[in-house]
Amino acid sequence: MSKGRAFLGIDAGSRTIKAVLLSGDGEVIDSGVVDQGVKQAELAEALAADLIAGAGLARADVAMTVATGYGRDHIELANTTFSEITCHARGAAHIAPDARTIIDIGGQDSKLIKLDEKGRVHDFAMNDRCAAGTGRFLEVVASRLEVPLAELDALSAASKSPCIISSTCVVFAETEIIGLLAQEILPADIAAGIFAAIASRVQAMAGRRVGEPVVMTGGAALFEGLHEALEKDFGVKITVIENPRLAGALGAALIAKDKAEEG
Amino acid sequence: MTEIPNRITVKEWDRRFAEDAAKLMDAHVPYLKPLTAYVEEGDTRLTRLKFDPSPASLWLWNFLLSENERLSAKLEDGHRLVGTMKDLGTVPVMAYSLPNLTAFYPDGAWWIPCIMEANASALKAAEELGINESVCPVRAMVGAIAAESDFPVPGLMVCAVGATCDDFSALAQFINGLGHAIHWWELPHRRAPAAGEESVTLQGGLSAPASLVSFVVEQLAEIRKALSKYAGSELTDEALRLGITEANRARSLIREIRNAVFSSKKRLLSAVDLLIAEMLIIHFCSDRDECIRLFEAILSEVRQREAVEPDSDAVRIFWVNPPSDIKAMNILEDCGMRLCGTDFMFTHSLSAIPEDLPPLEALAMCVLADPMIGPTRDRAGMITAESRRLGAEGIVVSRIPGASHCAFEGSIIKELAGEELDIPVLELEIPPVCDAYEQSMRGRLEALRETVIARRTSQ
Repeated sequence: MSKGRAFLGIDAGSRTIKAVLLSGDGEVIDSGVVDQGVKQAELAEALAADLIAGAGLARADVAMTVATGYGRDHIELANTTFSEITCHARGAAHIAPDARTIIDIGGQDSKLIKLDEKGRVHDFAMNDRCAAGTGRFLEVVASRLEVPLAELDALSAASKSPCIISSTCVVFAETEIIGLLAQEILPADIAAGIFAAIASRVQAMAGRRVGEPVVMTGGAALFEGLHEALEKDFGVKITVIENPRLAGALGAALIAKDKAEEG
Repeated sequence: MTEIPNRITVKEWDRRFAEDAAKLMDAHVPYLKPLTAYVEEGDTRLTRLKFDPSPASLWLWNFLLSENERLSAKLEDGHRLVGTMKDLGTVPVMAYSLPNLTAFYPDGAWWIPCIMEANASALKAAEELGINESVCPVRAMVGAIAAESDFPVPGLMVCAVGATCDDFSALAQFINGLGHAIHWWELPHRRAPAAGEESVTLQGGLSAPASLVSFVVEQLAEIRKALSKYAGSELTDEALRLGITEANRARSLIREIRNAVFSSKKRLLSAVDLLIAEMLIIHFCSDRDECIRLFEAILSEVRQREAVEPDSDAVRIFWVNPPSDIKAMNILEDCGMRLCGTDFMFTHSLSAIPEDLPPLEALAMCVLADPMIGPTRDRAGMITAESRRLGAEGIVVSRIPGASHCAFEGSIIKELAGEELDIPVLELEIPPVCDAYEQSMRGRLEALRETVIARRTSQ
């Protein structure tokens, strides 16, 4: 691309840092994901530097950077910050303009965002009680079942009789899983049961009415078993948007562009 | 008049203490101390808060933090202490109608962790008795009574049961089991009158069967007997009427403060100070007359600010339930928002007590207007109506971890208020010491502000 104005969005999540670089006309130039760490400002800086250099740009070509995610206040290169709710909504609505509800299951929390007809946040809810209903829950389960996280989906697909996980706390659910394994319940049924439990918690957060279309963002959207469980609980079609875990960073980059253009 | 919203820290307050205390000389507040003195006594939470910078606020915090000393002094002066529980504002009106009784809420000890951080001895003492964090933070009351640590143990306790929290009833029974006499009374569940049943209109647009009012009058009559016996003099209708008049003076003042703060386009009082001021109304912080003088000072400050402060564009929030960590009020303002309405669970104690009715009947009607004893839908309706009246742009429903009465109300309020008013409603669980959770709380509150700002922009 030709050198000029570009916009950067950084989503400093609990598990990973995501970044999206936009061109002056709003096209995605490049994106990247790195694991989160103690020195998140440096990690974000390095990720941003890679994207900018890869696009043949200089730092000065980035007109504005917006950070989001739970670690957003530590991203020193950001000109300003916005909440995950606003950024996920902006990113998802950009990809799916008709969307009225966004389900985002991130590493540390899950969110349900209701959008108005213009794609703006109308209302939202976040789980804040514990990690049950989040990506972290899936990590704990995968570890306990001794499978890589990425294989949890394939494992659950083999389930013929998903078990019921009743605990609403990750710690207790882990204990419950140990008990189920002791009863020689198949890991596949446990994995499927976990997806169902997460879906149930997200659905409870949604309340009675959910506007359609419903889209899903966040890294956990890549688990087909979870996606299916959510569709079953919500009773509606749920579309996983393209590059779901980049939705927040994309939204942040789009907001950076908006802000820069507002002057 | 002092500047708002430039809230100040304990250190800043210490620096200006002499100047501010001098401004209060006319008000005769002999117990004024720099707040650092309370920090040194263990109220370390104060160092993490930001306060309204006025002399009236300095008075407010001194009044709040000196309650234990006040109770002890009153005891030494021959006063008798009444521990009242769960009615949130009615029994104290009766107790203060007798000159030698001082009523307070031992369950106010649940607030101790907010002030004293995690080293609260009352919580530790409760745990040693086998009451852990699975029970509502009011468990601090049990520890404080068992250890006699945070307030003088009252010689008479009056506890409402019935339409109250299960946790609380269990804790009160535990105290009873420790050998402390409790006068139990029943607070009935408020129900709507059946077709053809004689009904009574209550505060807040509520109604109840007249038979329920009669029932509560009988309950209050028994409390009157217990208080009379304890005081050694009869609590007459005349004494009650005078007590109600004085309580109404205090209620009128706090209503004026709230109305001024909520209806103004300006930021007239910091949120944490307003929260504390409101909380005083339920038992006058153990000194009704001093409480009235303090309210007058706060109201004066607020009125002066109304005349000179610039308009604020902070997002207007209706806040439901007292947060278990009062720092949440600071965080709300840090995130660019301000209070435009509150329901801290005792809205019935902010209303005027009818003075044209027999006193027990008037008090019974206040009891039955308690937002916590009826269907949550009633409360949600009142919150919705108030939010509409006050122009709220968003509602925050704070939850207290382990508090059983909060289990469903958030979603009901969200459903009713959110849909009727078409404004965002945020549920927020706030632990007793929220520092570790602060980033997450800020994230949610910032999202709420952004949502409201985006709506403003589109309108």
